[in-house]
Amino acid sequence: MAVTNTAPAALVREPAGAAGTARRSPATPARRSRKRRDRLAALAFIGPAFVAYGLFIAAPWAHSVWISLFEWDGIGPSTWVGLDNYVKVLTDPELVGALRNGIGLIFFYTVLPIGLGLVLAALFAAAPGRASGWLRTLLFLPQIMPLVAVGVIWRYLYSGDGPVNQVLEVFGLGAVTRAWLGDFDTAFLAVGIVGTWVTTGLCTLLLFTGMQKIDRSLYEAAQLDRCGPVRQFLHVTIPGVRAEIVVATTVTIIAALASFDVIFVTTGGGPGTATIVPGVLIYRLVFTSNQVGLACALATVLSVLIMVIVAVIGRIGKERS
Amino acid sequence: MQRRILHPALAFAAAALVLTGCAPGGTAGSAPASAEKPSTDLGSEEITLSLISTPESGASTKATIAAFEKEYPNVTVEYQQTNYDDYNKSVNLELNSDKAPDIALLNSVNNTVKNGLVLDLDPYAGLYDWTDKYPENQLNQWRVGENGTTLGDGPLYAAPAGFSEVGLYYNKRIAAELGITAPTTFAEFEEQLATAAAAGVLPLQLGNAEGHASFLVQSIGQSTDGAGAYADWAFGKSGSTFDTEGNRKGAEALADWAAKGWIPSDANGVNLQGAVDAFVSGKGLFLVDGNWDASKIAEGLGADAGFVPFPGDNVTAIGTSVAYAISSSTEHPNAAAAFLNFLGSPEASANQFEQGFMPLDPTAATPEEGTLQADLVSAWSKISEADGLVGFNNNASPTMNDTLTASSQELLAGRATPDEFLAAVQADWDETHGGN
Repeated sequence: MAVTNTAPAALVREPAGAAGTARRSPATPARRSRKRRDRLAALAFIGPAFVAYGLFIAAPWAHSVWISLFEWDGIGPSTWVGLDNYVKVLTDPELVGALRNGIGLIFFYTVLPIGLGLVLAALFAAAPGRASGWLRTLLFLPQIMPLVAVGVIWRYLYSGDGPVNQVLEVFGLGAVTRAWLGDFDTAFLAVGIVGTWVTTGLCTLLLFTGMQKIDRSLYEAAQLDRCGPVRQFLHVTIPGVRAEIVVATTVTIIAALASFDVIFVTTGGGPGTATIVPGVLIYRLVFTSNQVGLACALATVLSVLIMVIVAVIGRIGKERS
Repeated sequence: MQRRILHPALAFAAAALVLTGCAPGGTAGSAPASAEKPSTDLGSEEITLSLISTPESGASTKATIAAFEKEYPNVTVEYQQTNYDDYNKSVNLELNSDKAPDIALLNSVNNTVKNGLVLDLDPYAGLYDWTDKYPENQLNQWRVGENGTTLGDGPLYAAPAGFSEVGLYYNKRIAAELGITAPTTFAEFEEQLATAAAAGVLPLQLGNAEGHASFLVQSIGQSTDGAGAYADWAFGKSGSTFDTEGNRKGAEALADWAAKGWIPSDANGVNLQGAVDAFVSGKGLFLVDGNWDASKIAEGLGADAGFVPFPGDNVTAIGTSVAYAISSSTEHPNAAAAFLNFLGSPEASANQFEQGFMPLDPTAATPEEGTLQADLVSAWSKISEADGLVGFNNNASPTMNDTLTASSQELLAGRATPDEFLAAVQADWDETHGGN
């Protein structure tokens, strides 16, 4: 992130310098030395951000990859175990289960919110007005709340005598009430819905912004071709917000795979291991079972998985546009 | 652009790696030993000790420090506290740092003793007669074998400062309505659960979102098997098994009671605090919980609150002590040991009882007649007398708490049989303490 932010600054410097030297001398050695000076200037601009990135992101990451090759309790001496930790990550049923749950969450964090977001954004775009502005704010609200607070709220909503069950009782559905987060059959669904609730607002807003940019004349042309609202939505709106869909998918998939707060607060991975995700397991491996090497291996697998998925999405998005 | 940035980034990361050293971690037990010879004489030189603790465990310690400083005017103790979760994450790093505290609260020995971060206290146990002062089972939890993981035998690494006990709370009003008195045998207890269920009263309040059903299994288990034999497993003694007569009885009872609806159907979704709140509001005849919730229960139920040791063939309680250890890099081990010894004094005992812990010296506890506190103290003296204190099974391995939580949730939901429950728990134990 830091690197890409500073790159434009260095690029801007170049045309300005070129204009300055054109007046002086076009001679080749001078130009070469000027080029070198420009490079130094560029480095000076990139430098601070680069050092910060290296120190606080690249180096710790490389260090954790290095630790993942050891068996280490976090304090004492460590033993080199090579790829053993990785073998365990990919074969231990609990660790594999956590990765599977993380991937399962993508449905609730990405697929549902983008689907819902497309419909909601299209409705907002079609019916602008004060009410839709308020609704948009309301929808976006979960995004600005700390996820720990979100977890605490939903734990209360889902509890045995909490609001969800009270509403069900009112509608005569007392038979299905239960402790939603403590039931093996519903816990995963329940935490998934919290994810949907959190990310739908972000997706809606992103897509809504994208829809504002779509050329109105495309809709007029579609109307002339006798396209109804549904076909306009399918053939004009969705292709028009492809870039936004790619961004929303990327951000929410990362949120799904790296989820921790909501699950840690609501179920802690239970009941049994029904809702365990890599984030919670990494935390437990480091802080309760002192298996720092194994935790780093799981973290590395998780980050590689995220990078691969994000790269694939980026590729698909580029190809189509 | 991309590529040019990537290369230096990799070089940079590699350089950082080299700088951070090759293999992670240091060498064990490298702390320099103090020049002091173990002695009870602290001399007259000014000494400052630093002590780290948590708010819950440290409340009585803070009060005790004042009394200690009065007794030893040349010693000052600086008190510092961190909340429980953060404390457990950081205590080993602090003890391993250059500015290690002299005295540290120890919530579990694993990793701390193995890496030689705290002193062997046996010389001081001899000097101060701790083995005579404390019942054996109360000190054994802080004895660690040579392998660093087996407890109960070997050098002592911490000294107790107030105890916890888990037992059976009951609602006296509901009991009177049902015409029952506190049970003393397991058969009687089960009959009373049935009586309550027949009368439409919830027999046993329970919250298992954080795995507190394991208290029930352990209470039934150790009161059947006896404290001494039962503790071997929690201590990690080689060849022990979780599949004992008592644990089997406990696991089967739990599955049976869940199936019969004698415990709340949503137990897996309610935590301990939720269960205590429900019990206090009159939902449930019995609740198995520790003395740490006593003040909340006494406040909520008033004169209706009662407490007895868990009913069974043997008088036992699950419990542990607040315990302090001495850093192996301290410069004043003698002064630190004098403080640890002072934690067993009548003044310290009185402070501990005031903060809700059971004191070493039961005469320091002077509760009002007929209160819940009186029940707790009476249960505590019976347990001390029977030497019936057993550490928490949850501490049997670093991951045991998570395993007990997950497996007991499966047991309650009918997703695992008692056999599978016992096997899953034993499998976790085997990973730390080696199979048979």
